[in-house]
Amino acid sequence: MNWMIFSPEICCLATALVFLFLSMAPVDSRRDYIVAIALTGVAVCASLAGIHAQGELFHGTYRIDLFSQVFKSMLLMGLFLVVVISSGLNGIERRYHPEFYMLLTICTLALMMLVSAVHILTLYVALELSSYSLYILVFLRKGRDQGTSSGMKFFLIGASASATMLFGLALLYGATNAAYFRVLIEVIPGVIHQPEVILGLALALCGFFFKMAVFPFHFWAPDVYEGAAHQVAAYISTASKVAVIAVLLRMAALTGGASTHLVHFLAILAIISMTVGNLTAIAQKDLKRLLAFSSIAHAGYVLVGILCISPQGNTSAIFYALTVLLLKFTCFLVVVQVAFDGENIEIDRLAGLHRRSPIMALALMTALFGLAGIPPTIGFTGKLLIFTAAMEKGYFALVLIAMFNVVISLYYYLLVVRAAYLLEPAEGEGALAPMPGAGILAGTLVAAIVAIGIYPTPILELIRAAAMALG
Amino acid sequence: MHTEFADFPFLSAILLSCLVGMLVIMVLPAQRTREIKWVSAVFSGLTLILSAYLFLAYDQAQGGLQFVERLPWIPGLGISYHNGADGFSLPMLLLTGIVFFTGVLTMWEMEHRVKEFFALIFLLVAGVFGMFMALDLFFIFVWFDVSLFPMYLLIAVWGSTRKEYAAMKLTLYLLAGSALILPAIVYLVVQSGIGTFDILALMAPGTFSPGEQKFAFLLLYIGFGILAGVWPFHTWSPVGHVAAPTAVSMIHAGVLMKIGAFGVLRVGMFLCPEGWQFWAPLMALLATVGIVYGAFVGLSQKDLKYCIGYSSVSHMGIVGLGLATMTVDGINGAVFQMFAHGVMTALFFSSVGYIYDRTHTKIIAELGGLGRIMPVATTYFIIAALTGIGVPCLASFWAELLVFISSFKVYPVYGILAISGLVVSALFMLRVVQRTCYGPKNEKFAHLPDVPFKLGIPRMILVSVIVLFGLFPSLMLDVIRTATIPFLHRLP
Repeated sequence: MNWMIFSPEICCLATALVFLFLSMAPVDSRRDYIVAIALTGVAVCASLAGIHAQGELFHGTYRIDLFSQVFKSMLLMGLFLVVVISSGLNGIERRYHPEFYMLLTICTLALMMLVSAVHILTLYVALELSSYSLYILVFLRKGRDQGTSSGMKFFLIGASASATMLFGLALLYGATNAAYFRVLIEVIPGVIHQPEVILGLALALCGFFFKMAVFPFHFWAPDVYEGAAHQVAAYISTASKVAVIAVLLRMAALTGGASTHLVHFLAILAIISMTVGNLTAIAQKDLKRLLAFSSIAHAGYVLVGILCISPQGNTSAIFYALTVLLLKFTCFLVVVQVAFDGENIEIDRLAGLHRRSPIMALALMTALFGLAGIPPTIGFTGKLLIFTAAMEKGYFALVLIAMFNVVISLYYYLLVVRAAYLLEPAEGEGALAPMPGAGILAGTLVAAIVAIGIYPTPILELIRAAAMALG
Repeated sequence: MHTEFADFPFLSAILLSCLVGMLVIMVLPAQRTREIKWVSAVFSGLTLILSAYLFLAYDQAQGGLQFVERLPWIPGLGISYHNGADGFSLPMLLLTGIVFFTGVLTMWEMEHRVKEFFALIFLLVAGVFGMFMALDLFFIFVWFDVSLFPMYLLIAVWGSTRKEYAAMKLTLYLLAGSALILPAIVYLVVQSGIGTFDILALMAPGTFSPGEQKFAFLLLYIGFGILAGVWPFHTWSPVGHVAAPTAVSMIHAGVLMKIGAFGVLRVGMFLCPEGWQFWAPLMALLATVGIVYGAFVGLSQKDLKYCIGYSSVSHMGIVGLGLATMTVDGINGAVFQMFAHGVMTALFFSSVGYIYDRTHTKIIAELGGLGRIMPVATTYFIIAALTGIGVPCLASFWAELLVFISSFKVYPVYGILAISGLVVSALFMLRVVQRTCYGPKNEKFAHLPDVPFKLGIPRMILVSVIVLFGLFPSLMLDVIRTATIPFLHRLP
C-alpha cells in the first residue's frame, strides 16, 4: 500500500493531533494561530504536490484520482484561508481556540475522506464525522444563546437528514446488493426503473442536500450562518459546500443519466432553491443571513450543472465549486475585517467602507458582482459553463429561469454594494485597521477572481481532466 | 483555430489605452485630482486618435473586416479573442472615441471622488470599445456587461434627481436584457453543433434552421433592444439620463444605447438573418411607436434632461426603423443615425450640463432668457436641438432622410407616422429652445458666466463633427456602405 498518496489526509490528521495536545497546554492564541497557519500550509503543499496521485486504499473503499485530489486541494485551500482570517477570532472564547483549530482540521479530514469515498459505509462515516465537528464548531460561538440555539437547530435538522440518508442507502443496498460504487454504477442503470432504487437514491441524496442547503433542507442555513462565529460560517459556506458538490457528482454519476425521474426531481429542487434563496435574501438586513440565502440560491445553480450528468456538466459543477470557494471566502474576509469584534454585522454597518478601507470595499464589490455572475469575474465563467452544459442537454427553460434568478440576485447584491460605496461612514467610524496581511490577501483574491474569469483555460483544462476521472 | 494579428494591433491598443488608463488612475493618490484629469484626458485622447486613424486608414476598396486580431482563448469551449473592424463598427468606434474624449473634458470641473469616477468611466468605455470590435460571442457578452455595471455606481454616487432609484432601475433593466442575451447566445452556440463562439464561423449559411433563427432573434432583439431604448422597454432610459452626471449622460445616451442597436445588428441580424426578416415588421412597428411616443411624451416634460431623454427614445426609434427596412439605404441610414445621434446627444447633455452646473436647475420654467446671459452656451444648445430636428447641413439630416425614404418604400404607413412623429419632436425641441434661451431673463441667473474657452473645447469638437459630417455625409456613408452591401448580398 502506497501511503504517500494518503499524505494530505495524514497532514490534516497530524495537525488535529497537534492541536489536541496544544489544547492541554496553557492558552496562547498567537502560538495557535502561527502553528495552524504553518501546518495547514504544509497540508496545502502536500495536496498540490500529490494532485496527480492515483490509487486505491482500504480494500478499494477509498479511491484517489484526479477528481478527488482536485477537490482535496480546494478543501485544504479553503481550510488554509479560513485559518488565515482567524487571527482575531473574537467570536470564540480564547480558551477554546485550540479546539477550534482541531475541529476545523478534523472536519476537513472528514470532507477529504468524503470526496474519496467509493463505498456506502465510508461515505456515511465521513459525512457523520464532518457533521459532528461542524455541530460543535457552531456551538463554540461566544455569547451562549446565539450559538446554542442555532447549533441545536443545525444538529436536529442534520440528524434527521442523516437518518433519511441512511434509510435511502439501506434501500439502495437492498435493491442492488452492492455497496461499492464501482459495482453500483454497473447495476443501477439496469434497475433504475424500480421504485425502491429511485426512492433510495433520492433519499440518499437528501443527506447531502442538507449540507448543501438545498430546498427543502435549507432552514438551518440562515440561523447557523448568523449564529456561528464568522470563521465557522466562512468554513461552512466554502469548504463544506465544495465537498458536497463532489459527493453529489459521484452519486449522480451512479445513475449514468438513465433516470429522467431523478433529473426532474433535481431540476425542481434546483429551481425552487434558487428562487426561494434569492427572493428571501432580498428581505435580509444581516449580511451573514444574506450570504446564507445566496448560498441556497447558488446550491440551485450547482444542481443545474450536476443534473446534466455529462462531462460538461461535471466540469461546470467542479468549476463552480472553485467559484463558490473564492467568492464566498472573499465576502467573509470582508465580514471578519469589518466586524472584527466578532459581533454580527448588519448591512448598514458597511456604510462608508469605500472610505474606511478602499481595498476591502473593492474586494466586497468584486466578490458580490462575481456571485451575481457578472463578467469578467470567475462567477460569470462558472455560470456560462453550467448554462452551456444544460443547454447541450436541451434544458432551455432551466437556463432561462436561472438567468432570471441571476437578475433578482443582482438586486440584493447591489444593495450591499450601495451600503459600501454610497453611504458615508457613521459618526466616529474612522479608517478600518485590517489585520496584518488582510489587504494583500484581499488584493490577491480580487486578482484571482478577475484573472480566472478572464483567462480560465489552464484551470479549466485541469478540471476537465478531473471530470473525466470521475466518469 | 489560428492566431492572426495585423502588423500593429490597433484595436487591442484602443482597449489597452482604456485599461492602462484605468490602472494609472487607480494607482494615483485620490487627492491629486489635477493629475488624474490629465491622465484621463491623455488616455481618452489616445483612444480618439487611434479610432480616428482606423476610420481613415480603412481600405474601402477592399472592404470587409480589417485590422483583424485573433488568438485562441479558451480552446476547450471554442472561444477566441477575435477582433475586427468593418463598415458597421468603424463609425461606432469613432463615435466612442469622440464622446469619451469630450466627456472627460466636460467633467474638468468636478471635485467629488474624482479618482473613482474616472476609473469607472474608463472601465465602462473599455467595455463599449470591446463590444464594438469583438467578433466572438463570449467577448461580446463580456464587454456588454462590463459596460453596464459601472453605470450603477456612476449614477448612484455622482448623479442627481432620484439617483439611487434610477441607478437600480437601469441596472436591473439592462441586466434583465442580458438574461435574455446569454441564453440566446448559448442556444445558438449549442445548436450550431460546431462548438465555437466565433461569429464568422457561425455566420455560414445553413448553420441554423429558420425556426432556430426566429426564436433566437426574438430573444436577442428584446435583450439588446432594452439597451437600445426600444419601446416599450425604454422606461429606464429617460430616468437614467436625468439622474446621471453630465459625462455619464453623454456616454450613456451617446454610445451605450448604440451598443444595444449594434448588438441587434452584429449578433441578431448577422447570425439570424431569417429571424430578422421574419420579425422585421414587429421591429418597424415598435420603432414607429417609439418615434411617435417619444416625441409626444417629450412635449409634456418640464425637466430639460427628461426632454432630451425622450428625444433619445424617439431618435433610437429611427435607428430601429432603418434596420427593419432591410434595404441598403435603410441600414446605412440607421448606422449613420447611430453616429449622428451619439454626437448630437453628447452635445445636448454637455450644454445642459453646463447650464445645470451654473443654475442648479433643469426645470424649463425656471430658466429663460439664457440667450442673453450665456450666449455661447445657448448656441451649443441650439445647434444640438437643430441637429435633433434634422436640419440640413447637420449630420442627422442625412441619416433621417435615408431612413425615411427607405421606410416609405417598405412600410408606407409607418413611414408617414414616423415623419409626423418627427414634426412633433421638432415642435417640442423648438419649444424647449424658445422657453429656455429666449423670453424674459431670469434675474436670479443674470450674473452667471458664459462658457469659458477651455470648457468650450469639447463642445466645439462635437459641433465641428456634426457640421463636418453634415456637409460631407459621403465621408461616413462610403465606409458604412462597404459593410451594408455585402451583408445584404448574403441574404437568402
